[in-house]
Amino acid sequence: MIQISNLSKIYSDVTVLNIDSLTIPQGESFGLVGNNGAGKTTLFRLILDLIPANSGEVMLDNAPVARRDEWKSLVGSFLDEGFLIDFLTPEEYFKFVGKLYNKSEGDIALFLEGMKDFFNDEILGDKKLIRDLSKGNQKKVGIAAALISDPKILILDEPFTALDPSSQIRLKRLLNELQEKDHVTMLISSHDLNHVTEVCKRTVVLEKGKIVRDIQTGEDTLKELESYFAV
Amino acid sequence: MNYMIIIDLQKQDWKKIFRAKGFYKSLSVKLLMGFMGVYFASIFLFLGFFLGDILNEVSETLKPLEVFNGATLYMLLAALTIRFFMQQLNTVNLPAFQSLPVKRSTLVNFLLLKPAFSFGNYMTLLVIIPFAVKSVFAYYTGAIALRFVLNFILLIWFDMWIAAYLKRRFGSSLLTLPVILIVLGGLAALEYFKVFSLFEVSRQFFNLLIFNPAGLLLTAAAAGLAYVLNLWFFSRNYYPEKFNEKLKLNDSRVTGGFSFLDRFGVTGELISLQIRLIFRHKRTKSLVYMSAIFLAYGLLFYNSPMYKDQPGWLFFCAMFMTGILMLMYGQWVFSWESSYFDSILTKNIPVKTYMNANFYLLVAFNIISFVLTTPYFFFGTKIIYLHLAAFLFNTGVNIFLLLFFGSFNIKRVDLNARSSFNYQGTTYKSFLIVMPIMFLPMIIVGIISAFAPMNVALAVLAAMGLLGIIFREPLLRLCVNQFNKRKYLMAEGFRDKA
Repeated sequence: MIQISNLSKIYSDVTVLNIDSLTIPQGESFGLVGNNGAGKTTLFRLILDLIPANSGEVMLDNAPVARRDEWKSLVGSFLDEGFLIDFLTPEEYFKFVGKLYNKSEGDIALFLEGMKDFFNDEILGDKKLIRDLSKGNQKKVGIAAALISDPKILILDEPFTALDPSSQIRLKRLLNELQEKDHVTMLISSHDLNHVTEVCKRTVVLEKGKIVRDIQTGEDTLKELESYFAV
Repeated sequence: MNYMIIIDLQKQDWKKIFRAKGFYKSLSVKLLMGFMGVYFASIFLFLGFFLGDILNEVSETLKPLEVFNGATLYMLLAALTIRFFMQQLNTVNLPAFQSLPVKRSTLVNFLLLKPAFSFGNYMTLLVIIPFAVKSVFAYYTGAIALRFVLNFILLIWFDMWIAAYLKRRFGSSLLTLPVILIVLGGLAALEYFKVFSLFEVSRQFFNLLIFNPAGLLLTAAAAGLAYVLNLWFFSRNYYPEKFNEKLKLNDSRVTGGFSFLDRFGVTGELISLQIRLIFRHKRTKSLVYMSAIFLAYGLLFYNSPMYKDQPGWLFFCAMFMTGILMLMYGQWVFSWESSYFDSILTKNIPVKTYMNANFYLLVAFNIISFVLTTPYFFFGTKIIYLHLAAFLFNTGVNIFLLLFFGSFNIKRVDLNARSSFNYQGTTYKSFLIVMPIMFLPMIIVGIISAFAPMNVALAVLAAMGLLGIIFREPLLRLCVNQFNKRKYLMAEGFRDKA
């Protein structure tokens, strides 16, 4: 589903990302961990064609992403607040994004019905604008908007931060469901090793732009990761 | 004690300006703004020195001061209108002070006195003081000249506080603008047809005020009353929600769905998103008000004998008016959406569709401005040709220039920044883009009409516009390629909040 070859990104002579080869097959849940500055967001931005690579390329569904439009219909993503249109109400935003993916009003209403649990009655129905929501609720709006298109590939950067404990549990449940039922390919980054091992079948550790561990999640994964990051 | 804190607060406010991120960055823009400031200041001074002579021409029987007094009420009303729509209400970062032992009344007083310390409010004195020295002192006494200036300052304060009160009390909505313009127009018409002369009322009233030593007390009382009105407003509305007004979403007329756009699919969605963007931010809304005011530009130009035989200038004016919304909004095309640009790039929006949406939005702006300027057709058939050619040129040439060069604006536009006369997000590049659009066609018309009738020049520009409209697909594709090349730089620049 996702193939990355010889990908590198250099900012003013510093190589911030350098990946020789990485393949993520369809339906895999791929977790990305690493300390600040390891290159997680850079990798996601390269996959989403938000920054140009210095070398190499990213292929989604056997087609390169750079300066193309075709891949956009397959991918749902939420990296940061730059993905939100903050002067809309959440409803307006969902409707806007839904329409981009040819969803009817009925589809959108049905989808939001399914999100009711995750939203915890706090997001819909108020006439509040997204910019007036709390950080946690903004994050929920962004994640839901990434899901509205029934994406084949889902990319989320730090989805668990700023969420309250109940919402974290609900999100984990939601992501696991998406894997089992719809076989969505997922790329999720997190600072919390617990979350990653609970959601992802495969965990990759980035350090200074390089892949230093590539682990199939098992019983010892958490321990292995903890010992890796121990100082 | 109380006023000491106010002075401290005022100092902090100035520091805020000088220590703002990016204050030292765009020196070129600041220089340009500085030059413009000097330019306008010198024009004001110039006007001040010759205002007496100008007013002497206006009336043979009345002295300049009397003419000025007659116009004062009109000026007050006009200034009030402009302030009501353009002036941003002063706000204060309340939470930062709430925990400190600062009295609420101190904060309120600071909030109200703040504009009185703003230089911009006193720009008009550059006209008034030379006029007072040259034309009031000359006819009357120094004391009267002094009273005249003091009276004017008090009137500025009165206007400033009344406008702030009205705005706090009623908020500003798009609908009030036409109402106010109709009222002002009505007063002018009554004056013109000699039914009721506000001029006469104003003249006698202000004559009385200025020639009477105690007259100033009345103006001072009026300014004081306006101030107290604001105090009263704040005492009624204690909590900061009312202090720093917020957008209320009950206005579904302009903010709700645009169902007629539904049938245009994703393009329609993108257009209705931008319309909502415009109506939900003060900065963009004030752009619309400004455009409405600039539509009156033709009254100056087309009536003036000076420009009658200047085809270049006439075309400039026509192009400016029939394209005002396009020029105002289009010079920051793409940048308006900088806060969610990553979303535009990653959601299912083909770049071609995005470009089409921007193109049709600007075309719609042109059609609106064109229709609004049709009353000028009464000025003669020449104006009809002029406007048609300008409309075609705007639509067929200028839009593509804006869409092509728009990708060079890579500075984040902060939609929530101060509204009017806001140059945040401006770089010298913005000027480089707009300059050729404004002046190139004017030069073309000027050159052609030096050798041939003006209509030939208009036909040439109209033909250029038509060609652009006919070949819009390849032209748009050119813009798409340009966008694809520049999009990484744009996205990077837009992410930078500094």
